[in-house]
Amino acid sequence: MWTVKYKPKRLAEVVDQAEAKEKLLRWLEEWKPGGKAALLYGPPGNGKTCTVEALAEEKGLDLLQTNASDVRSEEKIERFLGRSVKEASLLGTRGKLILIDEVDGLEASADRGGVRAILRIIRESAFPVILTANDPWDRRLYEIRDLCELIEFKKVPIRDVVKRLEYICRSEGVKADPKLLHAIAEKNRGDLRGAILDLETIAQGRKQLTPEDLEALGKREQETDIFEALRTVFKARSALSAKLSISNVDMDPGEIFWWIAENVANEYERPEDLARAYEALARADLFRSRIIHRQNWRMQAYMVDLMTAGVSQAKKEPYRKFTRYQRPERLRFYSKTMVEREKLNQALRRIASRLHCSTRKVKTEFLPYLLYQAKKQKDFAEKLASAFNLTREEINLISSFYK
Amino acid sequence: MSLEVWAEKYRPTRLDEIINQKHVVARVRVFVEERNIPHMLFAGPPGTGKTTLALCIARELYGDQWRQNILETNASDERGIDVIRGKIKDFARTMALGGAEYRIVVLDEADALTAEAQQALRRTMETYSSTVRFILICNYSSKIIPPIQSRTAVFRFKALSEADVREFIQRIVKGEKLKIEEKAVEAIIYLCEGDLRRAANLLQAASALGAKITESMVYEVASQARPDDVKRMLENAYKGKFKDAREILHRMLLSQGLAGEDVVREIHRQIYGLNLPEEAKVRLVEALGEYEFRISEGADSMIQLEAFLAQLAAYGGKALK
Repeated sequence: MWTVKYKPKRLAEVVDQAEAKEKLLRWLEEWKPGGKAALLYGPPGNGKTCTVEALAEEKGLDLLQTNASDVRSEEKIERFLGRSVKEASLLGTRGKLILIDEVDGLEASADRGGVRAILRIIRESAFPVILTANDPWDRRLYEIRDLCELIEFKKVPIRDVVKRLEYICRSEGVKADPKLLHAIAEKNRGDLRGAILDLETIAQGRKQLTPEDLEALGKREQETDIFEALRTVFKARSALSAKLSISNVDMDPGEIFWWIAENVANEYERPEDLARAYEALARADLFRSRIIHRQNWRMQAYMVDLMTAGVSQAKKEPYRKFTRYQRPERLRFYSKTMVEREKLNQALRRIASRLHCSTRKVKTEFLPYLLYQAKKQKDFAEKLASAFNLTREEINLISSFYK
Repeated sequence: MSLEVWAEKYRPTRLDEIINQKHVVARVRVFVEERNIPHMLFAGPPGTGKTTLALCIARELYGDQWRQNILETNASDERGIDVIRGKIKDFARTMALGGAEYRIVVLDEADALTAEAQQALRRTMETYSSTVRFILICNYSSKIIPPIQSRTAVFRFKALSEADVREFIQRIVKGEKLKIEEKAVEAIIYLCEGDLRRAANLLQAASALGAKITESMVYEVASQARPDDVKRMLENAYKGKFKDAREILHRMLLSQGLAGEDVVREIHRQIYGLNLPEEAKVRLVEALGEYEFRISEGADSMIQLEAFLAQLAAYGGKALK
């Protein structure tokens, strides 16, 4: 992981935060038992934890660390930190640094008493204690705040994020378009860790990156969510959980509809199941058309229920298998061919007006024969082009759509 | 030599060249001679001369300036009645050339308009009736709302007989100096189902295959130029290859951009040929009717037709057991 590989080893390597680093060093120098703890605060991914780690490394201190992923009830905190804050390092000579990460992540019930334990540690510790938080003004922290020196870590400016990304690219031998790096930085709004993660995701196994790659990243995130939702819709026995599955998907229900429609045939194998599932979708579609034609958005709730719960209840038994889900062909087709279809339509219109009919008639009644002749006679395509004032591109377009 | 599409090249330009439809032509001729035509509604099967008659009327009324005095719009291409109304408004504002009192608006495939759009059209017809005459064209007059029907002279075009189609084929054969065997003519008559446009297209495509057109050439064109996608789709669904069937459907609707209604109609024609219990056929027809109704009410033709194919697959699964 690049976030680990490129973690700063020394304070000077931490990007920006000059003021914060200075304050922190001064606090550490002046710290005496019973003194204030340091509360480092600021948005995620801007170097709070890294700074503490680099500090410990640089000062030769053992870092005792607990973070939000540990349960921090009073009892656990006491057990983990309680003794060590009073004893010298096991190795004897080295000092210690206590880091309690993400204190605003304490949960009211599970971390019951956590605040009390932290307060006691700050008061009684024989070693300096550092806390981190995204939001130091969190209600639960007001007592802790009083015992802390507050040190702000600011968002990392975009140009510095970009610089860091460039450095990583150089070290990894990856060629990345500056626009892409800039876009990654913007997307992450001062979150350097997030930016590095994104860069690594995009660069996975590749040496050349273009701005279009960012789009793939957004989609990839979205797609994991939709895959999860599809799995639930298809596998769930409960209608309600099928219905709720799509609430996490950041996608318009109309688009989710096509994801379900595309993949239901990959999942359901019994023809009766599939027929029932499609009927549920077709009925959902009826509600969709009512939304559009009567602007009755209340109907969306029923459309969503039918396409999720309705499809989930169409199966007799869940299928025990892994299904690979895919992007709906319809969406793929429309996004891939947007420009071409517009050009195609213009060409068809020109033909239609010459033949005094609709483009629909051109498609069903004329094109099949004209293209057949073009296949049989060498110069027919050119004649066709000149007869209808079509460019070569338009002729090619027509034959590619109607092959 | 540049290419001409025979269906267009041999489209009649004068009233007396129109194939059959004598009852319609006779009445229209009276209007034209008095140079006073009412709003008209032409209803009838495809390829029987409806659009042609409208164009003929314009030629008879305006002579060389007919193109400037006719507005051709097509309801299946103009999205929404507003577009049509805008076009008609602009067109009606300018005076007819050549001293005529009114100009002609042809609204083709008028049955593609929803009932609401037709209501709006009705007001448009009234607003501009002093400067514009409307000719509405459709396959089924029943799809036109009564208020519009009552404001128009309704003309029903007959399905054409074998002799009618033969007459049209002979015109082209003579005009193009074609060699064609009698069996080939019969094949075209059989395949075109009274649709002169299709007859001309079949003939022209077959002529590309050789100096003398034979029956087998005609059939080759018919099967090659219009590969029977619908049939293959139904067979796949029936055999339980739903995804293959769906792929064919997607190609027709997406890349070929065919209208869902056209696909429905073709399915309807072919259901009885499927190897299914008779009762299942009837049930499928009923289901198909339901899907077509939904599509006509604005539902999405792709999902509705996929649902139909899934039903067919379920019936097929039972029948094949």
